[in-house]
Amino acid sequence: MQNFQQNLSLACRDKIKQPVIYCVLVIILSLLPIVIKSTYVIQIFIIVFVYIIATSSLRTIATSGQVSLGHAGFMSIGAYSAGIMSKLLGWAPWITIPLGAIATSAIAILVGYPFSRLRSIYFSMISLFFGVAILSINSVFAEYTGGSYGLTGIPPMFIGSKIPYYYYFLGLTVFSLLFLYRIESCRIGMSFKAIAQSPQVASSIGINESGYRVLALAVGCFIVGLVGASYAHYNTVLSHSSFNFLASIYLLVYMIVGGIQSFGGPIIGVVILVWVPELFRDLKEFTPYIFVAIILVVVYVMPKGITGLFERVKLWIKMRREGKVITHAS
Amino acid sequence: METAVNLVINSLVLSSMYILVALGFAFAISIMGIFNFAHGALYMVGGYICYQLAGSFGLNQWLSLVLAAIILGSFGGFFLERYCFRPFSGDLNRTIVISVAIILLIETTANILFGVHVQSIPPYISEILKIGTISISADRILTIIIGVFLLSTLAFFIRWSKTGQQMLAVSQEPEGAILQGIRTHRISAIALAIGCALAAVAGSLMGSLFELSAFMGDYMLIKSIQLVILGGIGSISGVLVGGLIIGIIDASLPLLTNAAVTEFVGLMIVIAILVFRPQGFFGREV
Repeated sequence: MQNFQQNLSLACRDKIKQPVIYCVLVIILSLLPIVIKSTYVIQIFIIVFVYIIATSSLRTIATSGQVSLGHAGFMSIGAYSAGIMSKLLGWAPWITIPLGAIATSAIAILVGYPFSRLRSIYFSMISLFFGVAILSINSVFAEYTGGSYGLTGIPPMFIGSKIPYYYYFLGLTVFSLLFLYRIESCRIGMSFKAIAQSPQVASSIGINESGYRVLALAVGCFIVGLVGASYAHYNTVLSHSSFNFLASIYLLVYMIVGGIQSFGGPIIGVVILVWVPELFRDLKEFTPYIFVAIILVVVYVMPKGITGLFERVKLWIKMRREGKVITHAS
Repeated sequence: METAVNLVINSLVLSSMYILVALGFAFAISIMGIFNFAHGALYMVGGYICYQLAGSFGLNQWLSLVLAAIILGSFGGFFLERYCFRPFSGDLNRTIVISVAIILLIETTANILFGVHVQSIPPYISEILKIGTISISADRILTIIIGVFLLSTLAFFIRWSKTGQQMLAVSQEPEGAILQGIRTHRISAIALAIGCALAAVAGSLMGSLFELSAFMGDYMLIKSIQLVILGGIGSISGVLVGGLIIGIIDASLPLLTNAAVTEFVGLMIVIAILVFRPQGFFGREV
């Protein structure tokens, strides 16, 4: 009985420990602009936040077994719709950002139903073509979107300093991650994972397969539309090429390098792959080699990404403590 | 009349080049089961090798085309298959990561070596054929001839040679092929080498007809994925049909509308095909 209570208190301590760590992390991050005066570093942080949100939302779609290769296309829907609304209609950013997210989500639902018939590789392919098609629609309506010259002159959210943007994107990151974490840990998230493992078994126990797939796409696209719209108001210039096919692939690479299995994977992947090459920016055009070196190491040495390595190390330490010899941990 | 003739020639040029590049991509999917997103970058490298051999080393242009194909083919067969794709076969996510690594490596290197400005290989033949009142550039005719020649050689190779039949066997049933004593890895290395060599030829020819740039591969990659999806994964004849359709669209629609609409129409056709018939025209369910 005592043993049980001890276990219970240990479990409670573990449960409390994690949120405390995250709260401390957020507080440190929110105190950072007081210490760091360089605008450049603040901008890097903002970019890292943008990518963290986009990659985490991509992971939510991936948990339902759909590896989307057109996520940057969805991001461009949010960004361009917010940009065009505020530029042509003169609406305030606080209206256009939610509207951009809703527009992205609505389009995701519209295309999600026909796309949900396709599984695995075929879904990846159709999302890839959808992402490219969004870009070409962009060029077709060049008088509104600016075509390949880009959309310029979007009204900024805050005038002057970058610090308000930092707090805005920090808040957005915390909100999005909490939202996505909540979705993943509740019944809906479990259904996503069930569909990913076996669509047949999932439908046999009464999970509406296509419905949940569309839901996953809609949730992921809502978040990515939100961050895309915010990015439009932050950057005030949207370039055609920043949402192309390779941008979607990069999001996927951040996710896989971080580790697709755990929620923290995309965050670690983005921090390492966006930040570390920035540290080496003195190398100028040689900087991409750093990126290549990191992803090569990860793909050859860590099959489940960086968080997969953490898990293995944790398991190894636990086994050592219990005095067991492990032959192969995974 | 002249527009009609030029239209036919242009669509044949585009079709044959698209097919040459897409075949390598199709081989990688059907024989090795991987998505080789680096194929566009390899096509670009082929063009640059030919440009460099002909320009800096002063070799004969035809010789440099052949050399480019041999260099890239052996790179694909000996290095890419063994060290980049074999460890990850069947794992879509990690293959994408390794392809991105190859793309970045190649594009960054090309950027450093050749700069961002656009270059062009000099034309192989600069004459202009005159048939009656119609003038046709001989370069394009030559491109079509080379393309058709290579494609028919490849078709004969697959149909009549032992290696070609082994390639078909591996693409249909890898485990069954191993049971029959086919050395699967060697077959996939040969397939990848052929694909890379064809991409190098296409890159060299397109680099002379159009232009060379460090990012020309991205466009071609999207086109080859379109072709493979249209024809169906695992089907070689499907790639030919898909290539003709996309080539005709790309050559004829710019006469009526602008380039953006053309691209959009091609993509919409592929998306519609995927929704209503995911296995393509000739493919099988994967």
